[in-house]
Amino acid sequence: MKAPFSEYLSLIAQPLKDVVSLLQNDYEYVSALASDSKGLNVRISAHAKSVSDKTMANERGIVFRAAKEGRYCEYAFNEFDYEHPQQEYRRIKAALDEQYELLSETGTKIYETPLPKDEPCTLFHQSQTEQLPETADIDGIVKRFTSLCEKAMNMTSFMIDCTLSGQSTHVCKMFITAKRMMKQSYVYSEATIVPVVSKEGRNQYAYEGISGLCGPELFDQLGAKLEKAVNDAVELLDAGRIVPGEYEIITSPEVTGLIAHEAFGHGVEMDMFVKNRALGAEYINQRVASDLVSMHEGALCAENVTSYAFDDEGNPADDVTEIDHGILKTGICDELSALRLGVRATGNGKRENFEHKVYTRMTNTVFDSGTDKVEDMIASVKYGYLLEGMESGMEDPKHWGIQCIVKCGREIIDGKLTGRIVSPVILTGYVPQVLGNITMVSDDREIFGTGGCGKGYKEWVKVADGGPYLKTKARLG
Amino acid sequence: MEKLIGILRASGADGWEIRDTQTKGWEFYFIKHQLDQHRVKEVRHVNLTVYKKSEDGKYIGFCDGEVYPDDDEKTIEKQVSSLIYSASLMKNPVYALNQPKAAQSIDTKPYTVREISRDFLNLMNAVKETEYKYINSYEIFVNEQTFRLITSEGIDVKETSPVSMMEVVVNAKDEKHEIELYRMYRSGTCDPSRIREDLEKTMRYGHDRLKAKPTMHLNSAPVVFSDSNALKIADFFLDRTNAAYIYRGMSSWKKGEPYAEELRGDRVSLRALRYLDNSYCNRIYDREGAPVRDLSLIDQGIVKAYHGSRMFSQYIGNDDSFIVSNFELSGGTASEEEIRSGSYLEAVEFSDFQVDSLTGDIFGEIRLAYWHDGNTVTPISGGSVSGNMNELMKTMRMSSEMKQLSAARIPAAIRLEHVTIAGEGE
Repeated sequence: MKAPFSEYLSLIAQPLKDVVSLLQNDYEYVSALASDSKGLNVRISAHAKSVSDKTMANERGIVFRAAKEGRYCEYAFNEFDYEHPQQEYRRIKAALDEQYELLSETGTKIYETPLPKDEPCTLFHQSQTEQLPETADIDGIVKRFTSLCEKAMNMTSFMIDCTLSGQSTHVCKMFITAKRMMKQSYVYSEATIVPVVSKEGRNQYAYEGISGLCGPELFDQLGAKLEKAVNDAVELLDAGRIVPGEYEIITSPEVTGLIAHEAFGHGVEMDMFVKNRALGAEYINQRVASDLVSMHEGALCAENVTSYAFDDEGNPADDVTEIDHGILKTGICDELSALRLGVRATGNGKRENFEHKVYTRMTNTVFDSGTDKVEDMIASVKYGYLLEGMESGMEDPKHWGIQCIVKCGREIIDGKLTGRIVSPVILTGYVPQVLGNITMVSDDREIFGTGGCGKGYKEWVKVADGGPYLKTKARLG
Repeated sequence: MEKLIGILRASGADGWEIRDTQTKGWEFYFIKHQLDQHRVKEVRHVNLTVYKKSEDGKYIGFCDGEVYPDDDEKTIEKQVSSLIYSASLMKNPVYALNQPKAAQSIDTKPYTVREISRDFLNLMNAVKETEYKYINSYEIFVNEQTFRLITSEGIDVKETSPVSMMEVVVNAKDEKHEIELYRMYRSGTCDPSRIREDLEKTMRYGHDRLKAKPTMHLNSAPVVFSDSNALKIADFFLDRTNAAYIYRGMSSWKKGEPYAEELRGDRVSLRALRYLDNSYCNRIYDREGAPVRDLSLIDQGIVKAYHGSRMFSQYIGNDDSFIVSNFELSGGTASEEEIRSGSYLEAVEFSDFQVDSLTGDIFGEIRLAYWHDGNTVTPISGGSVSGNMNELMKTMRMSSEMKQLSAARIPAAIRLEHVTIAGEGE
């Protein structure tokens, strides 16, 4: 079925247009973004069970953006008296005027920014889904997850807990300006298994997940991941520590995704170009990776948790080629940064929710596949590691440093996996060097959407990333 | 609100909690010292938790949901009914909700969002910068939050407090290079002297990072942590005394026993604090209605009490607990000067230093550290530190000088021995 559009948003569409129109008496540009997104979050562990409507993206609220004489301001709220648009207009104007008064009082200078073109656009997008989070069979989900949890707990005596979590969000958003009426409704879901094991006072855990642009029907696939998750956790109990040094490495698709996202993706978010915070700005049309490397970013370049039709500024989704055979072609850009840089917005303006500001954010960030077989890649390594399991990463756009925390390194000697593993592994290095050293790229690829992404240490949004297996060299610690 | 309470009372739920949070927020975003944009936020979130017991009374389930103020009565009734059904599917061992208890109030100095905002704006306008050390960008968030908790057990409490945050990016450059350092400050109201002092220190770090050499290959060395990195080490002790960690078998720390055998370093003391000056977490009650109070969790290396949510606390027989907001980690026996003696690495900037409380693993990529070899001090950058707290805490040493960071008071310096250093320089 097509994901239905929010009745609430349909109800408030005309009053919102009225407020936009009233605010245009005071501002040169006005837009409204209204969201009404429902969520379902089921969490079953051996020790606690919970259910809620809270997911990373469930929300109901409105944000108005207004611009005048190069100055941009926003008003976010969630108690909208839609029967009295005139009254709401006065409230918004008074609140923004009061705040501007303080800025005038403190002599604050404005970063003057041109107005958006606001070309006419009418759009109504509905994605396909089998189920919706708001009407899902929660009893069935709880029974399935409970059964999987019990199975996991009985697999080994080392188990101390196993958490199965399923989240589904039905996103409905509406973007309105004087010339635009854009509406979208789509459903995305994700589910994870996290077994926790303990042996002689040493705890370990592993992580397996699935995600997709679909409803809670996705949760049916989680069982297929159970055995690997438990086996990985148990194996990690006997993991050793890596001897720090530079190694030949092969990154599994999720580690490839982590590199795509943290090492490179953040570095070409063009709001960082505006602030002079990204080295990438100086490398456009220059080589940043080996000839084997191409990379795409955009809501349209894969179907996963962040594959929307338009972003939070009413710009249509895109598929941007960031790296083409090793050459950095362009970055991604939100509306205001595009106006400041004189470039095209790429549909990457995202908010954590209606309460938050827009930043340039990633959607699907993916390395293209190559032609190599994974077996040949392993066979080509003299001494190194196959890196599996993403734990976390941190961007460093100004210097293009990498910090990727990887759950597990599998030792390779003379082209063969030795069975010895190390954990955790800290992958560090200089981005163009790590990407420049890529000598083999596998012919398959996977995309993962179970994680979240922050800008610095806040502003959490859904993203997906991935790619093929890559062979390169990097410093591990 | 009365309408919602009426619906809940008639709903058949075995218990319920309403958390009504209203926020008035002012936000300012700057590129250098020019205003990128300004924002006003006026939002209200009414979150519900409903509880439903099994017929035999052995189990209790709960379900959380948000009620929207502009929903009509029928919609809310339908939603509450759906939450109760979902709660009935969650079979957790039964536990009781908090009962009303008196608690000591917290005196808050008068403030307004406008005044706090002005303090932040004036503070940043007055920062001393040079051509080579300057503010790249900053974001100011000033909120007034009013939180009201109403429960089926008769709790009805309301608190209003300021919650502020500022993110700052500091740049330093010379003729060849430019680097940046990141800071995030959390507090109740603006604390100009603390922020000014820290920004000045950050600019010095920036200058040093420009001349930093690649981190040398040390294999293992003592490392001194301070500020937000030391706070993450302190969080490890707080997590390991959390009732959820104890109940789920993720922490084996037992009351009345030392948290580790063969403690050869300082013995940690850990206390939950009801009040910390200008903390953004000063609360009279926790989110479940339990009064927040001062409580010794670890005393001189001996575990004294656990803390945490009502559910997990009761499961481990710890009936009189609460969710900790402010805390203090102490127990240092040496001065900062003594902590910083001999050969050691002082790590001051990481990409993202992390302490995994479950496994005990610590790791981080070094953006700036100082290698002290006893005679000279060399700024270094790159490479990483790693280790495991289960071992490192046995010889951990802390300064007796303390420092407040956000909602915690911690030693000004924490020294861990035998930390693995992965470097590349000579």
